[in-house]
Amino acid sequence: MISTSLSLTADFKLPTGILGASVSDDGTSLVAACMDGIYQADLQSQSSEKIGQHSSYVSSAAFLPERDAVISAGYDGVIQWIDLPTKQQIRKLQLHDFWSWDMAVSPDRSLIASVTGQYLAGDYKYEPLAEREPSVKIVATVTGEVLHSLPHVPSVQAVAFSPDGKFVAAGNLMGEVRVWNVHSGKLAASFTTSDFTSWGIIKSHSYLGGIFALKFTPDGKELLLAGMGPMQDPMAGNGRQLWQKWSWNDSEPCKLDETHKGESGEGLMETVAVHPDGRQFVMGGRLRGGDWNAAMFDLASGVRTATLKTGFRVTEANFTADGQQLILVGAQGQPKKMVDGAFPNFGRVEVYDVAAG
Amino acid sequence: MKRPHNHSGDRTCNSPEHTIHRRMFLDGSMAAGAASVASFNGLFSIPAIADETRRNGKKCILLWLCGAPSQFETWDPKPNTPTGGPFGAIDTQTPGVQISSLMPKSSSIMDRLAIVRSMKTRPSEHFQGIDVLTRGDQPRPPFVRPILGSVVAEQLGQLDSPVPQFVLLDPCPEGNEFKGFKAGNWAGWLGAEYGPVRAGGEYSIPDLLRPETLSETDHSDREALRRFLSRKFENDQRSKAAASYNAAFERVKGLMSCAPLFDLNKLPEQDRQRYGGGAFSQHVLQARHLIENGSTFVMVANGMPWDNHVFQHEMHQMLVPEFDNVLFQLVTDLEDRGMLEDTLVIAMGEFGRTPWLNEARGRDHYPNAWSLAMAGAGVKPGVVYGATDKYGVEVVDGQVDNHRLFATIFSALGIDPHEEYDLPGLPTFQRVEEDAAPIAELLIKTDGLKA
Repeated sequence: MISTSLSLTADFKLPTGILGASVSDDGTSLVAACMDGIYQADLQSQSSEKIGQHSSYVSSAAFLPERDAVISAGYDGVIQWIDLPTKQQIRKLQLHDFWSWDMAVSPDRSLIASVTGQYLAGDYKYEPLAEREPSVKIVATVTGEVLHSLPHVPSVQAVAFSPDGKFVAAGNLMGEVRVWNVHSGKLAASFTTSDFTSWGIIKSHSYLGGIFALKFTPDGKELLLAGMGPMQDPMAGNGRQLWQKWSWNDSEPCKLDETHKGESGEGLMETVAVHPDGRQFVMGGRLRGGDWNAAMFDLASGVRTATLKTGFRVTEANFTADGQQLILVGAQGQPKKMVDGAFPNFGRVEVYDVAAG
Repeated sequence: MKRPHNHSGDRTCNSPEHTIHRRMFLDGSMAAGAASVASFNGLFSIPAIADETRRNGKKCILLWLCGAPSQFETWDPKPNTPTGGPFGAIDTQTPGVQISSLMPKSSSIMDRLAIVRSMKTRPSEHFQGIDVLTRGDQPRPPFVRPILGSVVAEQLGQLDSPVPQFVLLDPCPEGNEFKGFKAGNWAGWLGAEYGPVRAGGEYSIPDLLRPETLSETDHSDREALRRFLSRKFENDQRSKAAASYNAAFERVKGLMSCAPLFDLNKLPEQDRQRYGGGAFSQHVLQARHLIENGSTFVMVANGMPWDNHVFQHEMHQMLVPEFDNVLFQLVTDLEDRGMLEDTLVIAMGEFGRTPWLNEARGRDHYPNAWSLAMAGAGVKPGVVYGATDKYGVEVVDGQVDNHRLFATIFSALGIDPHEEYDLPGLPTFQRVEEDAAPIAELLIKTDGLKA
């Protein structure tokens, strides 16, 4: 079994909570989607610069190195392209009426997929109302052309491309995953897991939770899902820290594995990332109960191989391309008091050296 | 001014209804449940204790947003600030006034709403907050101040109506403090007869309907036999419990006549579509229906869904639009029916939510600066009262506490907020303590108000 050690090598803050981030190919730079805008951070000097903003929170940001640009998505439903040398916005696209919950970039960086959807009460028990706009959109990064508008059930909270770029998967509040052929836009598979969704038996008769992150495994045959197990009290945030691995492309998609008994605490897991060596993955989120909020797992066996207790909510995990570093970003609680006329920084970045044996 | 009341002090603490939860009746245990509503029968038999001039036909619907909604995502948005959250603000029909972008329908009826943006209250926990904001004051054990609906039912209730005067519609009773309430908790020293009839969700009243297998004649015969035997037992044994059961059965008979009012499926389908599918929406429609048909006070709750310590924005994206729609539908319906002038609509929770987000992306309890809305009856429309600072941290203008709020609510309903309760065995209480003045700027009629 793999054993892994994680050593903290850098820790710094950005002004506001970080909701998403990506690392440059050379592993030296981070582009962060923050509550107040888009930041580029130098991981060595731990300095940062604001390079753009949305009219609401920024949910995702990624490098487009071929164009020396950054692409971002926000709670304003906008996708925008920012030229890195000039820090100027070079294209803006109002892609959704509601938030972009998540955005993924295809492996060849020719496409992005963005997911949206407002959870609205559809029936007596607060079943989600059908979508009012396409929940999944695929856009060409070079032209900004919307290539596919795909249906799902709101809210759709996580999206990922397969490693070969041929498929895109999106997961929603109700634990339903739909997988489409990127070229044709045809539905390739769908399955539902109820294990991530809470219907509040106490306090609130409504749905909460769902799939907050998903990634294909390196061979593209399986999907890793992340979120939180069901809660009776949807206000508690105390569902178990949960990942599941699904075989999505079988005639009958099936669950292959999930967080092992005794290896989870409580809290919403918001990110999952596969190590470049294809043998491990990391899942991270919030610690509500237990002793870790980010952990490494052996992809084949599902056994937990390392844990971290960061002291802040992890929203995104990235490995550098060489696999030697793990970058975790997120947010601690927003400070209550202003200092010198401003709220102290509460966006967090941590860099860990990864040693896998 | 003291007004003699025909209440006996022992009603609040010794009668059997205080020891049996109202839910037992509605859960289907007729015998046990009957006792729990026994004293409600008194609502229709109490002597005329107030001048008819008090019974001016005013009514009240309280949309109880339990758990406490965020003022930032409703009535007091702070767009593009560190505390404002992800949702924007939109203009309203009232020039210069913005509300959350989640509330487009309410923005179109701002000329009929009155918003208070400057609530500042003390309790920061639910139970205490619910006590203060539904009763108007903090507890003063062992005396229990009656809840707003009980006061309104007692003051404005129609004696000759078969329809319950105080109804609580709460389809998610697991979710808030009300589940544990006993009858006496509601009405306090007024007596349990002024407690609510509960309905909604598992509190539906199916047992009020005569089974199809039982003919009307058989039903009457059984009732006559039951009455004979229990009266005999009551007389022979001088049993207080049997008397209570008998009163309850009489009450049940009264409720049977208006049972259709509690059947959501009997509400017009078009109205049900308009109000929206969620349980809260459906019960707000039912509240309108009950008020139209003779209830005086209807309180609509739905558990404690607004308590978003976790997933603040994910929950408010759904809850606020639902609230926005039902408030719009309710206010416009009442107006279209010519009822808004006499029906006070109040929408509030027990406090607000913090300007800052916690680590779990939630907003926590915040009583220091929060908002609520009212419409109709004696409340002046199109008013935004009070203000908070640019981050919503502190009230900077027109601070309102629970006393002033309740003085305003009572004044709008034509109930003297400063009247004293003169109850045997109890200290003297005022309906609103500390001589608090109503907010004159929110009232249409200000004659005779204390400054």
